[in-house]
Amino acid sequence: MKLTRIQLFWIVATIEIVMAVWLRISPAITTARQDAWLSMLAGGLMGFAITFLVVHLSMLHPNESLAEFSQKLLGRWLGKLAILPYLTAWFILAGDVLRTFADFVHLILLDSTPVWIIMLLMVTLMIYMTLNGGLSGIGRFCEIAGPITVAALIVSFLLNLFNIEWHYIKPFYADSGWRAIAEASYPPASFFGESFMLLVIVSYLDKPRKAMSASLLGVAASVIFVFASTVMVLLVFGPNVAAKLRFPYFMLVRTIDIFNFIQNLDIFVIFIWVFGVFAKMSFYLFLTSSEMARSARIANWRKLVWFSAPLIFVIATVIPNENTIELLQKLWRLIVIPVCAIGIPLILWIVTLVRKEPTNA
Amino acid sequence: MNRTLNVCLIILLLVSVTTGCWNLREPDQLAFIIAAGLDLNDEGQLEIASQIAVPAALSGGENGGGGGGGKKSFVVVSGTGKNVMDAGQNLQAQLPRILFYAHRQTILIGERLAKNGVGSLTDMFIRNPKSEMRSSILVVKGGLAKDVLSVEPTFDPYISTILVREQIAVGMKPYYYRQFLSDALSQAMQPLLPAVALTPGNRYRYAGSAILNKDDNLKLVGYLNAKESAYANWIIGRQTGLSITAPVSPGNEELSLNAKSLSKKLQVDLQDQPRITVMLKGAGIITENNTSLNPTKNNDLKRIEKELSQATQEAVQALVDKVQKQYNTDIFGFGEFIHREYPNRWKTLRPKWNAMFPRLRITVKVELKCKDPGQTNSAIDSML
Repeated sequence: MKLTRIQLFWIVATIEIVMAVWLRISPAITTARQDAWLSMLAGGLMGFAITFLVVHLSMLHPNESLAEFSQKLLGRWLGKLAILPYLTAWFILAGDVLRTFADFVHLILLDSTPVWIIMLLMVTLMIYMTLNGGLSGIGRFCEIAGPITVAALIVSFLLNLFNIEWHYIKPFYADSGWRAIAEASYPPASFFGESFMLLVIVSYLDKPRKAMSASLLGVAASVIFVFASTVMVLLVFGPNVAAKLRFPYFMLVRTIDIFNFIQNLDIFVIFIWVFGVFAKMSFYLFLTSSEMARSARIANWRKLVWFSAPLIFVIATVIPNENTIELLQKLWRLIVIPVCAIGIPLILWIVTLVRKEPTNA
Repeated sequence: MNRTLNVCLIILLLVSVTTGCWNLREPDQLAFIIAAGLDLNDEGQLEIASQIAVPAALSGGENGGGGGGGKKSFVVVSGTGKNVMDAGQNLQAQLPRILFYAHRQTILIGERLAKNGVGSLTDMFIRNPKSEMRSSILVVKGGLAKDVLSVEPTFDPYISTILVREQIAVGMKPYYYRQFLSDALSQAMQPLLPAVALTPGNRYRYAGSAILNKDDNLKLVGYLNAKESAYANWIIGRQTGLSITAPVSPGNEELSLNAKSLSKKLQVDLQDQPRITVMLKGAGIITENNTSLNPTKNNDLKRIEKELSQATQEAVQALVDKVQKQYNTDIFGFGEFIHREYPNRWKTLRPKWNAMFPRLRITVKVELKCKDPGQTNSAIDSML
């Protein structure tokens, strides 16, 4: 199971774009109004910093994933303990994404289908993908789904050019101020910070030395497209309307109307979006299963898929309502990112440096 | 053996899943709403009228006659209710097909409802997941939305399509629901909606535009006639073309200019009493000339341009005065302009903007250019 750099790039880009474009635009606009695009860029910078930290740390331990080098650095028990917050975070994330996806499809397309059936279909598919394809299968799928998603975004922007009203993006800065812009930049940053999964994935790369450029480019691509979507949403709806919409990008696609002929394109976009969600879900199924296996030294990680997949499904099912989804996202920003993306990697990095010292001397 | 069984199971699963039959919704089970009309009936209840397409009547096509001939291409059903969807239930009771909102192109608001305020009714049009914001929104001047929906149009099968095209035909950009919502939620821009009226011969007529007050539950403040609306839209930036007719000396005979490429520029002088200068520009082709002047000659052309500009300037200034004094609502977006260009100053102006607006000193300057004198030189009748 080896990944190429291009696959790594597309994995990072696909799994980050797919949720951030859907969920992070309108919260940012609610807080930072027409300057939300600045927040996206600021959030992107934080995403870069996190990515740099985790990839740098992983590259100090070539061919070892988080579960292995944490045990090496912190000792067996502490190392195992350190992996727990990660697994919790990834399971919650996967369940949350699955539920959001199913709720949306239920809302827009299949309104008389029970939500759990939509989720079950997705879970079945991702079990198949993960068992048969493994990480390289997921990587190859992202090589297809990623470019299609990006192409769909670009086409939807182009078709909306006629709907643009430039004055919506003004005035610059005065309405929000740096405080609001900074505050609005943290939620998207927490989505870009999702790249701490690279702590595991870098070890699968065929040429681990080249991991940094591919990862940073992947995050950059996500930031650029989330930024562009935010700008388009602002230019077409204006900050007042955009802040009220739950899925502003989706509404943007529905607004396309060229000569009263090209309209109602939302269905294509949902299709493409489902590709991305599928890639993301399969990826996290693989991530949780393989890390549990490595941490517990179980040779065959595939067996653990039969534990992870039902767990993700159960988490998604027990989420009672929209309010809880928001609560989970809050948990993600306030606990998961500080702990898993910044705290533990920093500790591990310091320990790595300290341990290296004697050998150098 | 095991493999065959697996393949069979997977095919069975695929067959049952991919057809989507449990969520089946065929077009022949749907009633496509193409226009919605909101009214207040005589008892003061909300009444929703929906124009529903009758596809069978369209199948006859342009050849006329055939099976579909003679049948109306739409029906209008109406029902009362507490809000839009509640009335929708009432509509559904009269239709054997499920109401389908995604093809709605036009939303009409009856005058009586507009006077009562439509602020509380705007939510459904974006919340409902089947709904979208591509609809155009208009006010019915002096009548009920229901009656306009029942008009049998001349060219297209549906009045809803026509009402959008009418806006383009009179030279404006169609006013969409999303713009309406953005104006209604903005800090200082009062919504200016296109208006239609019913003529005695049961036809519709573009009637200019209606001013709603967003600070007062989007209540109707008053109307502008077609000419005034064109000027107002020119200032807002929603007018693309305009035909201007004005008397030109000597003799004060009429001359018409078909102006395209309209543009506007605002200038604000922010003293303690802000002064706003509106500069409007347009260029076009002379389409009718009953004067003795010859537009191919430079001197005459200059004179024509000057006098046309002067006359238009007076008309626009009169409109601005009327809106300031009579309606007292900032439909031009001057406040939004200050907000965009001088955001810090705007913070102090905003609370008193509504009180300030009628007292603002607004100067209008119009500059029209005749790019082309048309196909003739001097007027034909002067040679006769």
